[in-house]
Amino acid sequence: MRPIRKLSEIAPFLKEKGVLKKVAVACAEDMNTMEAVGQAAKEGLIEPVLYGRADLMEQAAREAGVATGSFDVIECSSEGEALGQAVAAVKKGRADILMKGLVGTDKFLKAVLHKENGLMRPNAVMSYTCALELPAYHKLLFVSDTAVLPFPDLSQKSAMITYSVEMAHKFGIETPRVALIGASEKVSPHFQNSIDYALLSRMNVRGQITGCLVDGPLDLFCACDPESLAIKGVSSPLEGDADILIFPSLEASNAFYKGLMRFAGGELAGLIQGTEKPVVVMSRSETALSKFYCMALACLVAES
Amino acid sequence: MMITKLEQMFDVLRNEQKKVLVAACANDSHTIGAVHQAREMGLVEGVLVGDEKKILNICKEEKIDPSLYRIVNEPDDVRAVARAVALINAGEGDLLMKGLVNTDKYMRGILNKENGLMEKKAVLSHVTVLENPNYHKLMIVGDVAIIPLPDLEQKVAITNYLIQTAHALGIEKPKVALLAASETVTPKIPANADAAVITKMAERGQIKGALVDGPLAMDLCIDPESVELKGIVSDVAGDADCILFPNIESGNVFYKTNTKLANANLGAVVVGARVPAILSSRGDSVEVKMASIALAAMMSRGKA
Repeated sequence: MRPIRKLSEIAPFLKEKGVLKKVAVACAEDMNTMEAVGQAAKEGLIEPVLYGRADLMEQAAREAGVATGSFDVIECSSEGEALGQAVAAVKKGRADILMKGLVGTDKFLKAVLHKENGLMRPNAVMSYTCALELPAYHKLLFVSDTAVLPFPDLSQKSAMITYSVEMAHKFGIETPRVALIGASEKVSPHFQNSIDYALLSRMNVRGQITGCLVDGPLDLFCACDPESLAIKGVSSPLEGDADILIFPSLEASNAFYKGLMRFAGGELAGLIQGTEKPVVVMSRSETALSKFYCMALACLVAES
Repeated sequence: MMITKLEQMFDVLRNEQKKVLVAACANDSHTIGAVHQAREMGLVEGVLVGDEKKILNICKEEKIDPSLYRIVNEPDDVRAVARAVALINAGEGDLLMKGLVNTDKYMRGILNKENGLMEKKAVLSHVTVLENPNYHKLMIVGDVAIIPLPDLEQKVAITNYLIQTAHALGIEKPKVALLAASETVTPKIPANADAAVITKMAERGQIKGALVDGPLAMDLCIDPESVELKGIVSDVAGDADCILFPNIESGNVFYKTNTKLANANLGAVVVGARVPAILSSRGDSVEVKMASIALAAMMSRGKA
């Protein structure tokens, strides 16, 4: 497959393949959720199944100007019931994607993480990867972890790499280049991150992490700019052409992507990682376009 | 010229300006005999620091002309070591050698904060050069004698000493193998983890003048067939010039097995001080003593 280089290319790619995914929406009781679901349905990407209180969902649909006539609507008397049923639907294969509506993120993720009834893969690490589209970069940048793990340790970083690489593969990027981001390219025993990065990049060389090229520590310039690499005289197998950026902390990655969204015209789509099926958690402050991209991304990842 | 056999050092040194070997506590025939033989072979000039009366007596018994040597009278063993060290600090000697004094006192003289031979923060260590008839070149290994369980920073220092020793022997770009029990990168085994980190440091140019790879098991260090069987891709494996040991036990067993079961010859020096220091014991063969003196002299070449 030809690599997908823009978020706007995901939906056309899926439509051409005739992909149509069932999305179980837990507590589809707010306008934001309804809008996102409505647009993805209108574009022919998804068939929504809405779980929640019927009166609240109808009102939200009216406010969002979404016609729910063709949607499956499952009346649930409480938040807990809606959440439980939506997760169960995905778990049992009646739906392909789980999406969060008007329910607290903590409650929602707890249901996803639940040992028997949740959606985590065995021994998986819940984390987050988003795909960023930037006018100033020639391709998509996958970034992890921008939402879940505050200070990932070595094994969590390793999981973040694995999941992000899997996502990049879905975009048709055969051997994604994974940059482990630090403040410099030096390895120092005084910086635990640089030690973790040295280990991870050597694990890649020894064939313990596959399907990608891993290098780090690298600063952002050396990761994404061949000229900086040349000026600094650093030799990196990534050649300043990273597809995936792994960050050492949530603060760093969060500030990175939000800075790009706010000041550099970035668009993004992100997903919870480590789950058996795609799990969509959108923030209300995201643009309508980002929400749509997020649904498209979930469909792409759900497609095996 | 690249040295591939220990005796080739003798040829190099014979034709050069002689370095001055200072023997601390030259109060026995073993010490004086070794200095004299080294001088006869054209390896070094000698200074004998010790009890002048004893020195002259021994020379008489051994039929050695004492006028060939500068003799510095200092009957007390601790003071003799201090005096020998002072001579070197004053530029009147290039190499230090242990005579009839116990190793602790000798080392304490080198390590003395004000008057010793250490630069600030330098790591005192030990390098052994092995000539094993079953290997196609020399093996430069460390630390088999001084640092029991080197931490990461000490391992980096030892790695650099191995590289410097290789350079002194004319090996331009030595191949340095970092030993462990397997080639797998894992944070759970310190030897493997440190080896991976040091390899990455070398990739980043933080360790220069060598090709570095680890973790590697012993067979992968020195046996190309094992490398092929295991499918390891490495520019070091199977052809190592230098081997870094993760602890003193493994290194000590290695060199002693080489000498006792495989007829290996060796030379060894203490490194990390301002000048190379020789630590040979009375039990050492003449070959080992001469090789060690020659090795120290080789390492001192290029220094003023």
